[in-house]
Amino acid sequence: MPVKFKDYYASLGVARTATDDEIKKAFRKLARQYHPDVAKDKKNAEEKFKEINEAHEVLSDPIKRKKYDELGEHWQDGGGFQPPPNWQAGGRDADSAQAGEFHFGGTGFSDFFEQFFSGSNRHGFPTGGRGDDGPAHRGQDIEGDILVTLDEVMHGTTRQISLQTTAPDAGQAETHSFTVRIPPGASEGRRIRVPGKGSPGFGDGEPGDLYLRVRYAAHPDFQARGADLYHDIDLAPWEAVLGADVVAPSLDGAIKVHIPPHTNNGRQLRIRGHGLPKGRGGERGDLYVVVNIELPTQLTDEERALWEKLRQTSHFNPRQHSEK
Amino acid sequence: MEPSDQNTPPALQHFDPKPETFYSIEAVAQMTQTPRHHIAVYCRHGLISPVVPPERDGWLFNDETIRTLRYIEHLRAEYDVNLPGLRMISELLGEIEQLREEVRFLRGR
Repeated sequence: MPVKFKDYYASLGVARTATDDEIKKAFRKLARQYHPDVAKDKKNAEEKFKEINEAHEVLSDPIKRKKYDELGEHWQDGGGFQPPPNWQAGGRDADSAQAGEFHFGGTGFSDFFEQFFSGSNRHGFPTGGRGDDGPAHRGQDIEGDILVTLDEVMHGTTRQISLQTTAPDAGQAETHSFTVRIPPGASEGRRIRVPGKGSPGFGDGEPGDLYLRVRYAAHPDFQARGADLYHDIDLAPWEAVLGADVVAPSLDGAIKVHIPPHTNNGRQLRIRGHGLPKGRGGERGDLYVVVNIELPTQLTDEERALWEKLRQTSHFNPRQHSEK
Repeated sequence: MEPSDQNTPPALQHFDPKPETFYSIEAVAQMTQTPRHHIAVYCRHGLISPVVPPERDGWLFNDETIRTLRYIEHLRAEYDVNLPGLRMISELLGEIEQLREEVRFLRGR
């Protein structure tokens, strides 16, 4: 069944030749506007947010992006589109063509993404399910990605999923809708098994299972690594040298952070307990605030004079070890 | 799909898979159509692990085990993979997962 092509470059408002940095910046800017955790108009933001996140998911990954650019060459304007006949969706074999006959709703990803870029398309997931295995055969397991925001990970969430599968022998489409609870602290990549919601079985065979793979939506302010969160904070040079008290975002609201004097670029300041939930006892990972020193791009004459004075006065030479 | 009033959501089946859902070896054998002695062999070779050391509460497995066992059976049936092969594939896939996660994180930096 032809699936609608999505123009991810247009979603982020970048050119097809955009650099990784341009994509990252465009994403962060849009995500700040539309991310459910921070957006002001939550209802309208949701659709747009899904669109930007999916675009970012594909374009920020060089491998996915390359695949997407190749796919895009064969995009026919309007209506559905078919990939070129020899095009391989990752490691799937020819037999698994029928595994593509499922369509998700409510996962936060479009059919287009699920079909060509979701992890379930890579080698490692059992497909197949042959009609010649006797009268009764268990249906295939299905795996799909489900997009969750960090806020949903913090508090848990209940999501409504609809899944349309085509029974392999009867050729009929069945639609199942159900709700699934994603517990707080669900880790990135974790599979949630929903028994009996996979492909229908052959003959009297039982249906397979559905595995929903938790995928964290990229957040404009944080990167997640396990239960820890990382936030880049920009400092002026004098703040880094002399120290400062700044405000950083966290999933618990804004927090005050003290920057000690002589904080070097890239230094990670650890704030315990402000990461994501982990374990069962209410423990949490940590938040790392990563220092990024930004330089002023324009100087007044007075500022320039001060910097020149500093240059003359200071004996600091960062290259003293490598100079002869 | 029946029409639904916006204020009363349709009564949908709800799944709340608890992380503490454990299955006995008998339940696992039945669910995955895998003989018990196969499950024991896979345990010994590190392809699957019980959730807690078996000395305490006996052999208890979780959803991940179900998935792995079905995948193992698929590899055996489709590609005739033997035990050392299964072990290697399992290790490689595990390593790939970890690398993917790390790359995913680093790209975002």
